[in-house]
Amino acid sequence: MEREQLIKELHPLEIRVLLHFGKDESVTPDRVQEELGYKPGQSNQAFSWLTAKQLIEETERRMSTEYSITDLGREYKERGTPEERVMELVRSVRKQGSLTLPEITNKLGLENKDVGSAYGALAKAGLLAMNEAKQVILKVESARSGSENTRELLELFDDLETVPEQDLSEAQKTLIRPLSRKRGADRGMFRVVDREQVSYRLTPAGLQAAKELRALGMTGEEIGQITPELLRSEKWKSATFRSYNINTPPLRVLLGRKNPYVEFLEDLKDKLNALGFEEFDGPLLETEFWNCDALFMPQFHAARDIHDVYYVKNPTHAKEIEQPYLDQVAACHENGWTTGSLGWRYPFDRDFTRRMILRSQGTVLSAKALPRAKVPGRYFGVVRCFRYDKVDATHLADFYQTEGIALGESVNLKTLLGLLKMFAVEVAGAKEFKFVPGYFPFTEPSVEIHIRHPELGWFELGGSGIFRPEVTKPLGIEVPVLAWGLGIDRMALVALGLNDLRDLFTADIEQVRLRRRR
Amino acid sequence: MPKIELQEKTFFEMLGTRPSREELTELLTVAKAEIDDWQPEENNLRIELNDTNRPDLWSGPGLVRQLRVYQDGKIPEYTFLSKEGSVQQTGERIIQVDKGLRDIRPYIAAFIARGVPMTEAILVDMINSQEKLCWNYGRKRSTIAMGVYRADLMKFPVHYRAADPEKTRFIPLDYSWEMSLREILKTHPKGVEFGWIVENFDRFPYLEDDQGQTLSFPPIINSAHLGAVEIGDSHHFIELTGPDLDSLLVACSIVACDFADLGYEILPVRIVYPFDTAYGQELVTPYYFQKPVSLVVSEASRLLGEEISAEEAEDSVRRMGNPVTRSGNTLTVSPPPYRNDFLHPADVIEEVMIGRGMDSFEPVWPEDFTVGRLSEIEIFSREVREILVGLGYQEMIYSYLGSRRDFVERMNMSGEKVIEIANPMSESYECLRNSQLPNLLNSESVSSNAVYPHRIFEVGNVAYLDDRENYGSRTVTRLGFLFCDREASFNDVNSHLSAVFFYLSREYALEPVEDPRFVSGRLGAVLYKGRRIGVVGEIHPVVLENWGIQQPTAAGEIELDAILERDSEGR
Repeated sequence: MEREQLIKELHPLEIRVLLHFGKDESVTPDRVQEELGYKPGQSNQAFSWLTAKQLIEETERRMSTEYSITDLGREYKERGTPEERVMELVRSVRKQGSLTLPEITNKLGLENKDVGSAYGALAKAGLLAMNEAKQVILKVESARSGSENTRELLELFDDLETVPEQDLSEAQKTLIRPLSRKRGADRGMFRVVDREQVSYRLTPAGLQAAKELRALGMTGEEIGQITPELLRSEKWKSATFRSYNINTPPLRVLLGRKNPYVEFLEDLKDKLNALGFEEFDGPLLETEFWNCDALFMPQFHAARDIHDVYYVKNPTHAKEIEQPYLDQVAACHENGWTTGSLGWRYPFDRDFTRRMILRSQGTVLSAKALPRAKVPGRYFGVVRCFRYDKVDATHLADFYQTEGIALGESVNLKTLLGLLKMFAVEVAGAKEFKFVPGYFPFTEPSVEIHIRHPELGWFELGGSGIFRPEVTKPLGIEVPVLAWGLGIDRMALVALGLNDLRDLFTADIEQVRLRRRR
Repeated sequence: MPKIELQEKTFFEMLGTRPSREELTELLTVAKAEIDDWQPEENNLRIELNDTNRPDLWSGPGLVRQLRVYQDGKIPEYTFLSKEGSVQQTGERIIQVDKGLRDIRPYIAAFIARGVPMTEAILVDMINSQEKLCWNYGRKRSTIAMGVYRADLMKFPVHYRAADPEKTRFIPLDYSWEMSLREILKTHPKGVEFGWIVENFDRFPYLEDDQGQTLSFPPIINSAHLGAVEIGDSHHFIELTGPDLDSLLVACSIVACDFADLGYEILPVRIVYPFDTAYGQELVTPYYFQKPVSLVVSEASRLLGEEISAEEAEDSVRRMGNPVTRSGNTLTVSPPPYRNDFLHPADVIEEVMIGRGMDSFEPVWPEDFTVGRLSEIEIFSREVREILVGLGYQEMIYSYLGSRRDFVERMNMSGEKVIEIANPMSESYECLRNSQLPNLLNSESVSSNAVYPHRIFEVGNVAYLDDRENYGSRTVTRLGFLFCDREASFNDVNSHLSAVFFYLSREYALEPVEDPRFVSGRLGAVLYKGRRIGVVGEIHPVVLENWGIQQPTAAGEIELDAILERDSEGR
């Protein structure tokens, strides 16, 4: 099985090497590049993979010498060697006269020592001499350049990047050595490179693999990436497809996603929508009037302290409060108005009621919905509220509250319990629940529902009640209004696998990317 | 919600039983209370009370009273109360009130409790419940403060005076030298804590007996001499002061009933005012001022959804400790002296509900047919979010509060006006955001370790100042989006924006604009049907530097409400 896998997963570069060489044949990078047409990089990959898999093994390591042409050599090849250029100059000025060595150096723009050594070589070859005026003259009439052998070497590099030393004649070897860097001359025309040549051969396992590849009919010509060109060429019809290693770890993909907490809230809204509730929303800044007064919370109520709500520096007050609600609510606080209540019996402050604060409870929207509510009607909101709390794992300065109302001639405590049961079952997925008396300043009677959550155990899912007549009548509603609120933060934490409320609003991109709903 | 610390042994002795945890939990629902912590081995029981209008339940005796009457139906009677037309004798027990107190802290209520030697256990519980009463119901002593004194050492009549803060001197509790009232405000820990209640007045409330011995400096501190009750004392003078007479009288009755329940004899005190009060110039306390509340039982049946007979309703209300009479189908409840939370017949209905038991009401599915509906902006936001997700953007959700530094200074907008909180709890939460860009950039500044590219967005509320509005401000829903990568540019975010508008089947245009948050010439104001609804462009390197962001960043912000508004104007 392992072996089969090994064969299947051989790369085409490996397969072709295994199939190309026979028993005891020397496998070298040179041959692979020459005979299989691999680029040096491909050949390196093939050798390293095959060695690692122990399909080939090293047999010999020897040094070899190669020559390559330098920039100087290339310049000489194109513009002529110093010898060639001195001969040509001397011949071309012959009719007008002769030049001294410094004059030649000057005209050719070469360096002194190059011209000097070129003259030396040409004089030695019997082509040039010097007269009494130290001028260079032709010694014999001839067409020779005096550096034919050098030119022959330079021309070798027409096609080849490098020339192995063994390809040179003995005479050429003798000539090229002093012209190459690393063997004397600093500014040589050639560069000598000593290279280590390693030879390999197929191991028994390699030979076995080759045998199996043949048996399977695999050639290394199997198709890898399917390309548009391939599809157009129709070559795929006669080819086979290379198998991939499907267990290679896949690359990570960055994708667009909804935020899991927003999705949680979205699901909640969908459920309430499905249960017949219409969504409402409102401004983040509210007046004391709607936030508390309309809810019959007396202006001296402890929860309205400066240490419980955020006041706004600017704007400090709303311009006005809608009538007749202001007068009716004010009267209700002072003496109960026509509601049959004693009221809170204090002078209602009409300046304070216009004061702007950051909305501190979702119930404000329930109150605001009343003047325009349909009867019967059901409304809900998942709304951002602000609390004067020190931010920690269980408290946030701003957070979501889920609130709503159901009103109509036929609603009463028992339908309120029915509504709460519906939330427990449909929204929280609870099987066990119980009702206990509760307290809210704006409802009477008030009821809490506690549920047994599969992970959190018993906890208060929501608070509710029937709005006091002191809340509903001044806002123009004569039928009972069920008001409810759900505490969903703890369920959200469980659903997202978190235990710190602050993480719901994290700014960390990686954390959000990796977060999943359970 | 108030929480009270009780010594559980004393508590269960008074209750007469020692219930299991489950039984106690069940029983406490009658008082809208729950166990917060219970450590029997440490003699400790902490209970949370949910009804902030029932301060009578915030003490051991008060809570026991409610639980016992629910179990045995016997309503305790308190004979020491005075009321209109039935005033108790007080003899020499008189307090004279100075008229200078009228605008400072006018009212006082008091009584004598005698006959039971003070024990460590009683003292600890009494101090705890007194603190709770004055802190929560008395709003940090501003509306109710209370003192207990050694009655044996003092001489009536007691004088409640408006005193000179500099000249009036006595030795306060916990100290051994005399201080002026002013010095107490400055240096005594209680003066520092509660001084704000009186510091703006010329004169301070001051209580002394007829021999000039100091009782206390209400609402700050007792004297070290008369005001330090000792174990073994069995004769106490108790007084309460405050600016609101009704809540003061309720508090006084609560404390008196608690002492009575502990076996004390309560002796009333006559208060003589030089000015009128709601109940006359002379008032004998504890005083019963509550008005009876009537309920037509059919109203209860209607609101509770259950046919309840008048007899049954009467029983239920009585079980809750309320004296009640019945005449045909009408109940008349006389609230107990320690309660002042019957404002409306609806409050009696709740007593019926609790007295009858929550379990006696079956949940009923609401029958009304109503149509559910998401708001228009919610539906539109969902469309927008879906397109952004398709464009490879990760949705974020942020806190709406932040610092001025983040919202204004880091954004290179020094003159910008944002909505500021007048009483911020910390600098990190001092402003309401008027843009999502600071939140998105903050994400970048903490996320340089996250694999790039970063494409993030949020649909959420922002609020900004607007003089034309009644509220002086507007709350709107916006889309904010940000792209951060090696070569992020205006062209990228504009492509994304064009995709958003294409799939919303709407068109937008850009016009040149200047905005210090963006690179000049590489941003545009987004126009929809001729109205500016947002901005898109390359974030200025100054802003990136302010946030410590080292990758090119482009971003945009679009007001979604404005799109819907323009559409509806066209309809």
